[in-house]
Amino acid sequence: MPPREGIYGLLAEFDTPSDLVRAAQKSYQDGWRRLDCYTPYPVEEAAEAIGFHRNKVPLITLIGGLMGLTAMFLLETWISTLAYPINAAGRPTYSWPAFVVPAYEWTILWAGLSACYGMFALCGLPEPYHPLFNAPNFRTGATDDKFFLCLEALDPKFDLMETRAFLETLEPVSIVEVEY
Amino acid sequence: MAHETHSKTLPADLSAPAVVDTWKTRALIVGVIFAVIAVILGFLGQGQDGLGWNHLLRGWLLGLTLTFGFAVGGLAMLMVQYCSGGKWGLLLRRPLEAMSRTLPLVFLFWIPIAIWQGKLYMWANHGIVDKALSLGQITQEQVTAIDHYIHFKAPMLNPVSFIWVNLICFAIWGWYTWRLNSLGLKRDADSAGNTPYWIKKFENISGIGIVIYSVTMTVAVIYWVMSLDVTWYSSVYGLLFLVGQGYQVLAFSILIALSLSQFEPIKTLLRQTEQHDLGKFTFAWVMLNIYIAFGQFLIIWSGNLPEEINWYLDRIRGGWGIIITLDFIFHWLIPFTLLLSRDLKRNKKRLIRVCQWMIFAKAFDLFWLIEPSFKDASRNLHFSWGILEYIAVPVAMLSFWVVYFAIQLKSRPVVQTNDPHLAEILEPEHAHA
Repeated sequence: MPPREGIYGLLAEFDTPSDLVRAAQKSYQDGWRRLDCYTPYPVEEAAEAIGFHRNKVPLITLIGGLMGLTAMFLLETWISTLAYPINAAGRPTYSWPAFVVPAYEWTILWAGLSACYGMFALCGLPEPYHPLFNAPNFRTGATDDKFFLCLEALDPKFDLMETRAFLETLEPVSIVEVEY
Repeated sequence: MAHETHSKTLPADLSAPAVVDTWKTRALIVGVIFAVIAVILGFLGQGQDGLGWNHLLRGWLLGLTLTFGFAVGGLAMLMVQYCSGGKWGLLLRRPLEAMSRTLPLVFLFWIPIAIWQGKLYMWANHGIVDKALSLGQITQEQVTAIDHYIHFKAPMLNPVSFIWVNLICFAIWGWYTWRLNSLGLKRDADSAGNTPYWIKKFENISGIGIVIYSVTMTVAVIYWVMSLDVTWYSSVYGLLFLVGQGYQVLAFSILIALSLSQFEPIKTLLRQTEQHDLGKFTFAWVMLNIYIAFGQFLIIWSGNLPEEINWYLDRIRGGWGIIITLDFIFHWLIPFTLLLSRDLKRNKKRLIRVCQWMIFAKAFDLFWLIEPSFKDASRNLHFSWGILEYIAVPVAMLSFWVVYFAIQLKSRPVVQTNDPHLAEILEPEHAHA
């Protein structure tokens, strides 16, 4: 893919989470759909404001957990009944109570790993380059004490002059044009 | 733009809403109806197999253990809250206090068990062993083993010790109930400047209190439930009941807090954040409960010793396999799968349903623990009118307990005000537009 050029979007900076949420709600109501919020800590209301209600991490975690459970239980069943059937104190080779603990551990392990890597994958990570880091205030503020709203150029509503005028009505601290 | 705060203010009237009286009336009606049913079932059972009144007493034991779990478990949860702190305490403290103050009723429930020990416990009345032998429910070999254990455990398991040890336990729980409840009012009457003193004071009382509760509660359940089978012992038994009490107490107190939240003042106080936290806390208890219950089973199953394994065989064979399977599903699988959902934990109506279910599941679990201890029922699950006493008697007892609880809940404001968390819980959740 050739490198993209031009404008990635317009980045508005806010001082408080409340201002950001208010601005995000207004943008969403105005019809914006290609937009995103950036905050130094999770602000769930910001995610809700831009119409982002659900993600698939819980489902991936559940599937991962069930896979771990099944895999270990079957592995133990196979080992104990087919591969190495050992007489342990006269118990049946298929002694399921003994299989529960490792199966439970693998449920947790797989669920945990699925949650972690599923979240990475859904976030599009690893991502070595992101155009927003071209904005100097974003670089210093996004992980510190600033709250950002980015209206992206991919949105059909995007127009450099009109969008800037719209963002100004939201009274941000600053508006930065972000290049790819 | 300035960061605006939208803090709510607590209503002036902090007393319990009128709905508590409705609960009281309803519980009273249910209690009377089921008490009548229990008596009828007693007559029916007596005519059928001569065990009607005996079954009534067994159902009574279940009811005692259940209401004891709410009263003393509530006291323990209150002490845990004073030690751990946290905003969830503001929602639960007064309901937990009211639960702890129901101890006198639990003591009344205990008296019939103390009087008719000889109907329930082999160590109190050897006639039970002789009768089981003559009916062919146990073999001569088992009688030898039972006699050995009765003799060996006699210093603890005898009618006099039963009464004295239990009285001491009740006195200790009563002292902690009185102390925490009276100081709770004093703390609210005091100025906010003294709050750090009170926090320390409650911590100091509760910290030791939790340890003493764990020991006394273990002793009580060994006497009441474990000694029904005089041959068996398990070192995790006390912990199993301790966790079980956390399970039922949390379910009940969430039920109360969420039901109260339809009305002031809890309406102002309850935020989704704390409701979600309580849901997660409950989930942890559900998990810990099965962890310990299954741990005990796994260890005894692995050991496969004749002294221990029979207790499980009594509760698995002869039809009881169905009950233990249902117990696993009711007690763990259903609450666990439901409480996994984040949406459910944040939904009042559904969380209430889960809490109600958990209280039923706890009673079902106690049925599985108690009934197979009796030789007419061990490895032999069968229907009789008497077995329905396990529904009628505990429902009646629990209903009367709820009446008493409602009176206690009404007697105080439902919010503790002298608490640094109060300002926090009145703040809006996260950011608001």
